[in-house]
Amino acid sequence: MMLLLIPILPLLAALCALLRPRGRIAAAGTIAAAVLAAAGAARTAMLGAAGTTIVAVPGWIACDGLSALVLLLVAAVNVSAAIFSWGYVPARLAPADPAAERRYYINYNLFVSSLLLVPLVLEPALVWIMIELTTLLSVFLVGFDRTRGALEAAWKYVVLTLMGAAIALLGVLLMYWALWTAGGRAFTWDGLVAAAPHMPAGVIQMAFLLVLVGFGAKIGLVPLHTWIPAAYSYAPSPICALLSGAEATAVLYVVLRLVPVAVSVPAVHVSGALLAFGLLSVAVAVFLILQTSDYKRLFAYSTIEHMGIILVAAGLGGALASYGAVAQLLTHSVTKAFCFLAVGSAVIVTNTRDTGSIRGLVRTSPVAGIALLLGGLAIAGAPPFAVFLSEFAIFRAGVSEGHAVVVALLAACVIVGFVAIMVHVNRMVFGSPTGASGRPRLPAACVVALAAAVVPVVALGLYVPRPVFELLSEAARWIGR
Amino acid sequence: MVQSTWMPALNDLAGALFLLTAVGLVVVRQVQACLAVFVLESVLLGASALILGTALGTPDLLAVGLITIGVKAILLPWLLRRTVSGEIYTHRELSQLINVPASLLIALGLTVAAYLIAGPLLSHQTEFVRVNLPIGLAGLLLGAFTLVTRREAVPQLIGLLAMENGAFLAGVSIAPGLPLIAELAASFDVLVIVLVMGILTQAIHEHVGTTDIVHLVERGDEGHA
Amino acid sequence: MDDRILFNIIQALTVLLLSPLVKGLLDRLKERVQSRRGPTIWQPYRDLWKLFSKDEVVSDQSSWIFRAAPYIVFTMPLFVTLLIPALTDYPLFFAFMSDMLGAGFLLALGGFFAALAAVDTTNPYGPMGASRTRMVGFLAEPVFMIVFFTISFVAGSTIPYIVQQQWVTPPSNFFEPGHVLLMIAFLMLLLAETGRIPVDSATGHFELAMIDESKGLEYSGRGAALMKWGGAMKFMVLQLVFLNVLVTPWGLATRASVGAVLLAIPVVFLKIVILLLVLTAIESSLAKLRLFRITEFLGAAFVIATIAMITRVF
Repeated sequence: MMLLLIPILPLLAALCALLRPRGRIAAAGTIAAAVLAAAGAARTAMLGAAGTTIVAVPGWIACDGLSALVLLLVAAVNVSAAIFSWGYVPARLAPADPAAERRYYINYNLFVSSLLLVPLVLEPALVWIMIELTTLLSVFLVGFDRTRGALEAAWKYVVLTLMGAAIALLGVLLMYWALWTAGGRAFTWDGLVAAAPHMPAGVIQMAFLLVLVGFGAKIGLVPLHTWIPAAYSYAPSPICALLSGAEATAVLYVVLRLVPVAVSVPAVHVSGALLAFGLLSVAVAVFLILQTSDYKRLFAYSTIEHMGIILVAAGLGGALASYGAVAQLLTHSVTKAFCFLAVGSAVIVTNTRDTGSIRGLVRTSPVAGIALLLGGLAIAGAPPFAVFLSEFAIFRAGVSEGHAVVVALLAACVIVGFVAIMVHVNRMVFGSPTGASGRPRLPAACVVALAAAVVPVVALGLYVPRPVFELLSEAARWIGR
Repeated sequence: MVQSTWMPALNDLAGALFLLTAVGLVVVRQVQACLAVFVLESVLLGASALILGTALGTPDLLAVGLITIGVKAILLPWLLRRTVSGEIYTHRELSQLINVPASLLIALGLTVAAYLIAGPLLSHQTEFVRVNLPIGLAGLLLGAFTLVTRREAVPQLIGLLAMENGAFLAGVSIAPGLPLIAELAASFDVLVIVLVMGILTQAIHEHVGTTDIVHLVERGDEGHA
Repeated sequence: MDDRILFNIIQALTVLLLSPLVKGLLDRLKERVQSRRGPTIWQPYRDLWKLFSKDEVVSDQSSWIFRAAPYIVFTMPLFVTLLIPALTDYPLFFAFMSDMLGAGFLLALGGFFAALAAVDTTNPYGPMGASRTRMVGFLAEPVFMIVFFTISFVAGSTIPYIVQQQWVTPPSNFFEPGHVLLMIAFLMLLLAETGRIPVDSATGHFELAMIDESKGLEYSGRGAALMKWGGAMKFMVLQLVFLNVLVTPWGLATRASVGAVLLAIPVVFLKIVILLLVLTAIESSLAKLRLFRITEFLGAAFVIATIAMITRVF
């Protein structure tokens, strides 16, 4: 039962914001709920690392190693985004507008609550509904500005994502059909894997492809990724952090859950599709990074790149690659959250999203400048940071399994991406500052959030603590069967 | 038995008319007509569910059929009219990115594609699956096509809902035992979709002036705003 | 064998004599629906009688085509009647002389000559209407082909009598997706080929907007009578094909006796009346399409027919 408390906490915060309190109680309530939820998630993760599955409602709501990992990631990103919002909302979004601030926090908490439910639910059809809810609850967050661009971006977001969800729905229904034909009765993740060896190959092949393409729209896989530039441009930065760090992670989790099912069915070949989509996404993302002029979009494209890398890792197969995939999931989530918080700080300080018009950020605001520099380095995969370790693990896994060509292509794209990101970031951070003096100061809460978010990014690059390693291994074990 | 031969036949009829309405969505010219064709499509979906429920003896499916008709044919138009003001319906003619004869041919191609894709899965299946699965897949593809070739908000929304109709048509035949909770939640989800997108459409109409959304393909990286 | 020749003759006579009545009924129904009184249902007979007793005026610029066309238009539907199940559901004497494709060809021959005759005069409205008729016909051809091919593919034969059996046994075959869609496509074709709304206005007198009616514009006296009668017979023949082969393959004489065949006449007539009611409903609720929208109408019919074929093939 304790498990259910975790998604309920943000709901309570939403209720608190709804009741029209004075002052910043809504914001404070959000942060409190976030911290408590994260504590709960951490405890669940400890249990998950030890191999225990916590069951709240048998057959419907439970949490094993992989779910615990994703739950922890969502909760962690939520904490830093909530703290950052305390400073960001009055500074950028709704200066002296308590009604808008209330609207923001209600929406925010509902969105987070739905995100927290995704890893906990066992039945794929209900998970599909949860993912639809995450889209619907974040629409008004993406279009919060109510400007023409924001509303169009929100519309594109909801239409393309729901279109993908409808495609994925057919995939889920086909999975059910395959399960029924194979004689299994429990429509849960474990039930699917158990019945997999007897499932008809054609059905599962088509089902997996439909789910991959359909949910790929939300993750940012190449054919249906066109909502990402506009949506990330116009959404507030803490929401971008949630979209990249939490929502993309949760949806990718669903796809990863289905990989062992597809792999266990004889005569089904999904690794080819995974590799193809993954590499294509990485390549397109890198190309888009090269030619973008909006640094919010830059990091959004970087999300696409990393999602592609994780899919390639899942496609490579084997224990090492699975570990690499979940490790990348972890490192990307925390690092991307930090990046978007840094971006948010830069936006507060410079009041523009254009890469070309920012110079010498480190002189204008040291905190924002250093954060952006660290974020850029970290997400591009530079050595002292977490992402480097997980990417290296994936390359090593690929080489040891013999997929040299794939690894070479992937490495080439990642290197080009590194160069592209660093070129943009360097140009923004160093040099002589542009514009007049009198820039807004960075709110204290934002600095605190940045500090909180950078810790795992740096720490996990230096040393992987034992509990984390065990959690990752447990999660990889589920995928790698 | 009269029952055992007439039920598949009636389901065939419902399926054929469903396919017709799915193609019809691609070519209608007016907003009201678009909505009417969608309501008809949903009624046919509900009818298919009811027929399958009677034939297979699954009360769950009967409930699903009734809920579908109630939600999509009755509640949904009402909700849409409530959230989206009448001004949007005054702009009568819908724009099409591709002209009607070409759209019809592409719709034909998509139907053929649906039958080709679903073909290998249909061996040794019941008559219901043989009809519903290809037509459901065709409904999905045609809904996506509608969504992509229209520029106004309301037809795009209807295209989206039509895609889900197609998926459900396939679903009632291949997954008749899906827990009722999932079906109920999905229907509720449809209402939430309409609510959210209706409010968004209204907001767009108020702030932008029209609901003519630029088509969904990003034309390169359009910098800052 | 003699019986069969007799039945063939009875069939042809039925079509010959009843077609003006069918036309009169349709006109009267349409007027009634519009809250007007309309002419009596026997009016076409009176018109024919009047025209036959008048003199003919023929332009001296026209050629033999102009003089020959009315006879061709008059006789073609009669030939087609010999081939289709009009009153009986077993093949008659001439039934195997040609199949449905042949029947389509014969009807098209009549239309071809009518169009040529319209061009043959020096009246400017004639060619205008003729070219439009050709456009409609050209677009309707693929639909005809697909409909016929699907029906033949399903039944394994192109002879109408054999095809007709396909939809009746077992009765649940009637509701097959392919069959339902074929009926809808053929109905749209019927509207296009016989010049009814939404493709063309059969009662309008505005020459600039005429498509089908303009073919008979130049004729007078006997020529006009034959053209009108031929047009009415073509309409009735197409209805018979639609009804007896596709929609309601019941009510035809199953036994080879004169009594059964004569009994079939009122039954078939009843079916035609019901179809007329449907047509009236359609014509009264739709507006005539703009000329270039006709392509969309026929395109839709083509797509429907092709989808019907697809659902049968897979």
